[in-house]
Amino acid sequence: MAKLIGGLGSSHVPSIGAAMDKGLTQTDDWKPFFDGIGPGRDWVAANRPDVAVVVFNDHGNSFFLDKVPTFAIGCAERYDPIDEGWGPRAIPSFEGHAELGWHLVDRMVENRFDPMIVQEIEVDHGLQVPMELFFGKPDTAWPVRVVPVFVNVIQYPIPLPSRCYELGQVLRKAIESFPGDERVVVIGTGGLSHQLQGARAGFTNPEADREFLRDIAANPGRLAALSREDYVRLFGSEGAELMMWLVMRGAMDPDVVVKHSHYYVPASMTGAGMLVLENRAA
Amino acid sequence: MEDRIPETPLFDRSRQRRGYRLNKMAMGLVDPANREAFRTDEEAYLDRFGLSAEEKQAVMARNWQEMVRLGGNVFYILKISAISPARMTEIGAHQAGMDHETFLRERLGKKPAGGR
Repeated sequence: MAKLIGGLGSSHVPSIGAAMDKGLTQTDDWKPFFDGIGPGRDWVAANRPDVAVVVFNDHGNSFFLDKVPTFAIGCAERYDPIDEGWGPRAIPSFEGHAELGWHLVDRMVENRFDPMIVQEIEVDHGLQVPMELFFGKPDTAWPVRVVPVFVNVIQYPIPLPSRCYELGQVLRKAIESFPGDERVVVIGTGGLSHQLQGARAGFTNPEADREFLRDIAANPGRLAALSREDYVRLFGSEGAELMMWLVMRGAMDPDVVVKHSHYYVPASMTGAGMLVLENRAA
Repeated sequence: MEDRIPETPLFDRSRQRRGYRLNKMAMGLVDPANREAFRTDEEAYLDRFGLSAEEKQAVMARNWQEMVRLGGNVFYILKISAISPARMTEIGAHQAGMDHETFLRERLGKKPAGGR
């Protein structure tokens, strides 16, 4: 059976991708962030996952408001990076793991999650940036196949944090009942604190971010029990996307080991973080 | 969740219904042909999406604060900045009612002359 070997967390700020594209990773603005990603890359290189299940939200690129799935699972063989309006980025397409995607859908429905099934879709910075942070930007092909898990965190009603956590628990069972020998990581993406709209634009909350990075490992039940309003108040209107890390955390054992944790603020207007978790029993 | 958190417009039902056409117009700009149409004759492009005079005025003035008030969501309206460049921090500063330098310093803790 497939094996879940780790839970990863990462911001997906688009300007992180732009900084890599423009060779700005060593500037004063960006160096403190990029200096902290090495151990995350090292962990991935040492542990050689075959598949990344990437939990993220589309940002008005592949989905418009005409159709808004609360949860959607990618079941495609291939995902092209989307042109978000600034022209296409020079990164390779992502090879999908359609069989695993379908298997996740089966197990989710049997466990009373009912996702949208997606067979043709492009992916935006929400998936691209975490992949680049953990795997680097390859010239031709990514070293892993991907299964995108889309979560609506833009148009209300967005799902409850507790529901995201439960989804992770179902994904764990689903991954480890897949007939194959794949080594799988789940990547929770987004955040940390940021707000891009309204007079509170530019809000960040480094203290809450650091508590989040600590408790997502040690006390995820506290974070799953918070309301959506709590997330917005603590992390900003767009920082509420942090609840997607709960999907990753729900897929892990209750008892985890933190292999790497990194935080820097601000990346553009956002508290930026990276996290690597392993199950303690593993 | 109607603005129970101060200065924080959530993209709830009433906002997204109000802003649907505005956001659809902006979403259209992911298509290079539409970007060209916007550049060539902005008002004609906006008319294709049935925007009101108030909405058109907000877009043409690049009034980000007003676009958000009219139901625009930043992830869509940001695409306008692919045509007339504005950094995310400039859009944030405008909504916060600050000049860019002040915004970078007071909200993001940047030293003067910081980048994005």
